[in-house]
Amino acid sequence: MIVLTLLKAVLVISAIAAGLAAVLAVADVFLRDYGPCKITINNEKELTIKGGDSLLSVLTAEKIFIPSACGGRGTCGLCKLKVLEGAGSLLPTEEPYLDKKEIADNVRLSCQVKVRNDLKIQILEELFAIREYKARCAEIKDLTHDIKLFRFELTDPAEIKYTPGKYVQLLTPVYEKSSEEVYRAYSVASDPAQKNIIDLIIRLVPGGICTTYCFEYLKVGDEVKMNGPYGEFRLTDTDAEMVWIAGGSGMAPFVSILHEMKNSNSQRKTTYYFGANRVEELFLTEQMKQFEKDLPNFKFVPIVAQPGESENWNGETGLVTQAVERNIKNASDCEGYLCGSPGMIDAAIVVLKKLGLNENKIYYDKFA
Amino acid sequence: MKKSPDTQKLEQILRSSAFSAAGFMGTDTRSLAEIIDADMAEVARLGYTPQQIAQRMQQITDKAKSALGNWIKINDTHSAMITEVKGRIPCPWPHAGNYAKRVTTLQDTQTGRKVHFSDLNIHLIAEHNFFEGRGSAFRVEPKQIVEMLF
Repeated sequence: MIVLTLLKAVLVISAIAAGLAAVLAVADVFLRDYGPCKITINNEKELTIKGGDSLLSVLTAEKIFIPSACGGRGTCGLCKLKVLEGAGSLLPTEEPYLDKKEIADNVRLSCQVKVRNDLKIQILEELFAIREYKARCAEIKDLTHDIKLFRFELTDPAEIKYTPGKYVQLLTPVYEKSSEEVYRAYSVASDPAQKNIIDLIIRLVPGGICTTYCFEYLKVGDEVKMNGPYGEFRLTDTDAEMVWIAGGSGMAPFVSILHEMKNSNSQRKTTYYFGANRVEELFLTEQMKQFEKDLPNFKFVPIVAQPGESENWNGETGLVTQAVERNIKNASDCEGYLCGSPGMIDAAIVVLKKLGLNENKIYYDKFA
Repeated sequence: MKKSPDTQKLEQILRSSAFSAAGFMGTDTRSLAEIIDADMAEVARLGYTPQQIAQRMQQITDKAKSALGNWIKINDTHSAMITEVKGRIPCPWPHAGNYAKRVTTLQDTQTGRKVHFSDLNIHLIAEHNFFEGRGSAFRVEPKQIVEMLF
């Protein structure tokens, strides 16, 4: 009798628990349903979408591509846009990436803003020109032990128009080491005159989701998706002498810019300081020599931090910033262009300022 | 032992792609408490504390930063190099603070053996005794790191 009573009690409690779980599940579905929300863009375009997702992912789904290098995790600070109405309070996750003026101007990180009601937003007109491209991996070339050049032939659309210095976001699909699609940003290294080609120079990041995919899984013939072009790194229209400083995969935008300079028969005086750890880690040196022949005022200065005794290196040694300091006495009339790791860029800015270069004439792309 | 709601939520975050596309737990099916307990026991067996390990990792990262992406000699048998990418990553624990996406590679120049650790790894070990789950790309094996650091 006691056993039967206990059994009944267990069954009743289980039934109540199951009922509560069902109520919670149903409530979750309805409470998270924000219904249709209207997004007004630049007071012109209107989108009606289902609420609940981040503004970044909603815009991406509508083929409006906002720059983002972290896959919407709020860690790169690139996906800024103005939300004029409806965004709610600024989140602690956004604050580190926004200065006082941006906060006053209603700038937000679109990956952190959830679409829960109607929004009015403002984005740069040039972002409407950003498209998604399908491409085929046409070539993979080893440049050093941890840097490869990936050549992609565009298939749909078959052509892209960009200013040299821009970057694209390459989609890494779901694979063994990532359970979701992620985008990562890489500077374009190709000749902009070759409108169906995108070359990317990628350095393997230990543990990196996208670089691991590119180095270990991507094969010639595979189809990929990318979107772009993005970025503000480009040459100015002046005739000022230029000092370029780069290291590692920071080589990429300068290759594209050099193609453009060759195509336009540029006469601008340019010295390109490129740092590598060992002689064997210098790459595209033959191409740089050819650019020196094609461009009368272009000089390539490779610097090797630690040349091995057997490498017979007679060129510049030490850090790239030390070579710049040794070779330039006064940079006050120059423009500086930098691409590489954040640490290298910060160090290069210090050196260029010390050599008299005004900080507002230093342009950089902090993508490694 | 029953997990508190906060611990359950944290573990859920660590297994998800909310902060890192691959998460922090890898293929490890053990609970967060089990992972931390096992690693703490291993670290104690090796004669160190997580804070001593993290402090030495930080010293190496700080020295490697000055080489701007090149290898730098740490001592007679080890060199280190920094790889950086754009952006910062927050700690998945519920407190303020985010960390440069910087990976330090420490190499034993005599054997060629290498270990990698990020700025976030240093924080996770120092403040949360967390070396990440097995199979995570940024898992730091206590035995391996101790052998390389000291």
